[in-house]
Amino acid sequence: MSTDGDETTARQDESVPGHDEGPEPDGEGVDPGMPDLGYTWTTGDLDDDWETRARQKLETVDFDTELGVELSRDAMALAQGELSRETFNEKHHADVHEEFGVDERPTREVGAVTYESSADAQRASTSESDEPLPGVPTSSGRTFPSRRGLLKSMGAAGAASVTAGLAGCMDGLADTGPERGEAGDVQFGMAIDTDRCIACMLCAEACKRENDTDAGTHWMHVFRYEEDEYGEVEEGYMPRPCQHCSEPSCTYVCPTQARFKRNDDGLVLTDYDTCIGCKYCEVACPYGVNSLSKDEPTDISPGFTGSETDRHGNTVGGTPPEGIMGKCTFCVHRQDDSAQRGTTACEEECPVDAIHFGDMNDPDSKPRQYLRENRQEARFKLLDEIGNEPNIVYLGDEPSKDADPIDGPYTYEDLGMERPAEDGADEVVADGTDDSNAGGEGS
Amino acid sequence: MSPDIDGERVLRPLHNTTKGHFALLVVFGLAALWLLVAWVYQLRGGMMTVTNLGDWGTAGGVPWGLYIGAFVWWIGIAHGGIAISAAVTVFKIERFRPIARIAEVLTVFALGMAAANIVFSLGRPDRIFNTIVQWPLTVYHSPLAWDIAVITLYLVLSLTYITLSLRDEIYALRPRLPWWLGPIYSVILLGYRPAESEKVEQITWWLAVAILALVPLLSGGVVPWLFGLIAAQPGWFGAAAGPSMLVESLTSAMAFVIIVVAAFRYAYGWEDMIEEAILVDLSKVLALLVLATIWFVIHDVLTGLYLAPAHIDVITETMLTLPFFWLAIGGLLVSFTYLAATVLRPDWFSIPVLVVVSGVVAISILNKKVMFIVEGLMHPSVPPLTNLYPAGEYFPNWVEWSLVLGSIVLVGLGFVIVSKIIPMIELEDAGELVDEPRSSRTDGDSSPDVAADGGVLSGGKLNGSAADTERQPVNSAISDPVDTTGRGVAESDTVGLDSDSATTEEDR
Ligand code: SF4
Ligand code: SF4
Ligand code: SF4
Repeated sequence: MSTDGDETTARQDESVPGHDEGPEPDGEGVDPGMPDLGYTWTTGDLDDDWETRARQKLETVDFDTELGVELSRDAMALAQGELSRETFNEKHHADVHEEFGVDERPTREVGAVTYESSADAQRASTSESDEPLPGVPTSSGRTFPSRRGLLKSMGAAGAASVTAGLAGCMDGLADTGPERGEAGDVQFGMAIDTDRCIACMLCAEACKRENDTDAGTHWMHVFRYEEDEYGEVEEGYMPRPCQHCSEPSCTYVCPTQARFKRNDDGLVLTDYDTCIGCKYCEVACPYGVNSLSKDEPTDISPGFTGSETDRHGNTVGGTPPEGIMGKCTFCVHRQDDSAQRGTTACEEECPVDAIHFGDMNDPDSKPRQYLRENRQEARFKLLDEIGNEPNIVYLGDEPSKDADPIDGPYTYEDLGMERPAEDGADEVVADGTDDSNAGGEGS
Repeated sequence: MSPDIDGERVLRPLHNTTKGHFALLVVFGLAALWLLVAWVYQLRGGMMTVTNLGDWGTAGGVPWGLYIGAFVWWIGIAHGGIAISAAVTVFKIERFRPIARIAEVLTVFALGMAAANIVFSLGRPDRIFNTIVQWPLTVYHSPLAWDIAVITLYLVLSLTYITLSLRDEIYALRPRLPWWLGPIYSVILLGYRPAESEKVEQITWWLAVAILALVPLLSGGVVPWLFGLIAAQPGWFGAAAGPSMLVESLTSAMAFVIIVVAAFRYAYGWEDMIEEAILVDLSKVLALLVLATIWFVIHDVLTGLYLAPAHIDVITETMLTLPFFWLAIGGLLVSFTYLAATVLRPDWFSIPVLVVVSGVVAISILNKKVMFIVEGLMHPSVPPLTNLYPAGEYFPNWVEWSLVLGSIVLVGLGFVIVSKIIPMIELEDAGELVDEPRSSRTDGDSSPDVAADGGVLSGGKLNGSAADTERQPVNSAISDPVDTTGRGVAESDTVGLDSDSATTEEDR
């Protein structure tokens, strides 16, 4: 019987704003056992065929077939958000009780009604109030504990076994993960149109100028690659800043709380005053966006002119001092400056308007608008299956696992920047230097 | 069954320091100085500038390398020592008691070196205190915080364990110990009352149990979690990572214990007290552990190649093309062959060969650990990023080698020093050494009774006649700790040889 509740409510959140923001992906995320109707179907779409199949199945069991069909129909309605959990339980309570002799699902009569799933509670408590990006297949609908929750409880268990007493005293602290700032419902992010991108590298250059980053360090990087599409070679370009993840693996592993998520607006930042340069965040980030500072800015940059401290007084802006971890900050100095709030250097510089920066929770923000206007385009989040819940949404086709890195049409040298791969490994790169960007011998 | 421990000869190194010993002190001291120079150089130049470490991603580097590999290696070695000693206490394996103290001390040093390698790997070691300040908050999510907790706990437990097991002995021997180390002994004996012995025995027993329980938690749990919880690096992920790491740890630990025990045995002519049978037993255990390690490698390679997801496949395939991989495997196989052969043909057993083989095993494990760290980072993340980013390149440079080899030297230095402070073999009947009437307590090396005694004890062993005159049970109050004239040349040579062979092994 499909009364297995919690998974279903999670999808509710996604489908509601989904109606105004373009087509849903073609049912890829749907359980193969379900009718493949995409995300937007209603129970009205369940046809006779479906009912016949349901009937056949149900006739093999001893219980009432009619009730079964009704229950499944309503369960699917529940899954689609047409029906609330409460109504669903209430509606069939009497019948279920009569048929099975017991109905332990919470209803108002039975009392103890909390219709919020654990996933909802989790999200609400971490202020990522709803899935802002319908249409992007995402793993956030999972109901097993999020990594955040899991790590917290594991840590607590570890602490308990190691120093039972101490852990007891600190129980109250268990909710403070690596987050700072007051709770807010803004989550900055970007919509980046890979089909528009021409790989001119101006975003990378703008970032370097704005943030005074090290020689060879690229907070913004543009992947350039070719794909073999049935014999036809196609080029693709994909700009890559830090994804400012909602479940940032880099913050969990940090042993000093230096890497944190700023709750006010969802930026993931590094406190340059407390980071010890252990590089754990770097190895834990699946996107490869971190680099330990050498404090050797190039002359292409006029020096960092923004504020190094953010609105809470943490030192997080510009390039970090030597030996400290750095990465794209979403130009935090701009976000904390009323005149520039909501802009980034890379976005401003892009000549073809491929980058759209803004609050992913606000339906009227630049990225949300752009996503809505281009609802027919394919979209993806990078490495979404890893579960970091990135806040960069790409439009266009995701590079495949066979994408072959290439060096054009513009190179970092064209803009007076060092080729990234030469850096840091210059003493050891003997053979791979010339086609450093075409590395990846694994392909 | 435990052989008679001759307390006099165990105490001798505390009073007599040979030229060889000083030579070793100087060599190790200079090497340690070199480590310091290299480290200062790294601190001033900046980690990413003077080492071959680099950022992965666009820079095609490897952010964790030799240092982290050596950290995991030292953690592993730390287990062997204390586990052997704790097993002696818990399971009352008396025949291993003569090597228990050496093994315990090894644990403490190894833990220290594990911590040192972490510090080497930090961009800003001056701020390491932050990890402790933030610990109450980070313990909820940071595997490194768990690591710090368990390592600290391990260090505290093993130090407590050693101290407790020393107190009775030090108390009883106090009149025979070098007076100028008085303050150190006072610290060890803080609040000592002779009546505590029985209680302490109980406490050490429970401590030993706790330590044995911690071994799998640390090397089979927290350390592999340090890597395995990171989904970003596919090479670090695997359900068997815990057990395989534990086995590797125990293997390198056993190898190290054998090397250190053999070194002491030769250096001080303790062949009769640390019987060959002990080393034979240790070599059998080592053989089993090496076999288990090889088995895990096969497991790893097979699951990594046979229909594995593409990115795991790439890592495994690349690993198979690396000479380092075959070096490690070759080392393990050759060692196993020898060790297994000695089980079948006991007359092939030779301690020098065993020491060399143990060295090969220890280095092979270090090699494997470093490969484990580096391989995943060379082909990091999952497709499409794995192929969009350049593949990483890494070979440690002289700064990294200096620091890691330096940490091995520091352990040697530690042993050279500590063997002058505490008796390196447990003396259960320490009281007798003080109370027995000592006719030889008078001045003069050539007292006939000494000569006779020494001759019998050293039984024509290595330092035969030299050892006879060396024995000088002078009243501690007036003993001259630096009286080295003409003593123990043979002794120093063997120490030098052993440690040399160990370090040259590392060089490869
Ligand atoms: S992309 Fe990496 S560095 Fe950025 S927030 Fe996500 S995990 Fe952290
Ligand atoms: S490098 Fe700094 S920010 Fe990153 S995990 Fe270590 S301490 Fe935290
Ligand atoms: S948002 Fe700012 S820091 Fe991030 S890539 Fe763009 S310019 Fe660089």
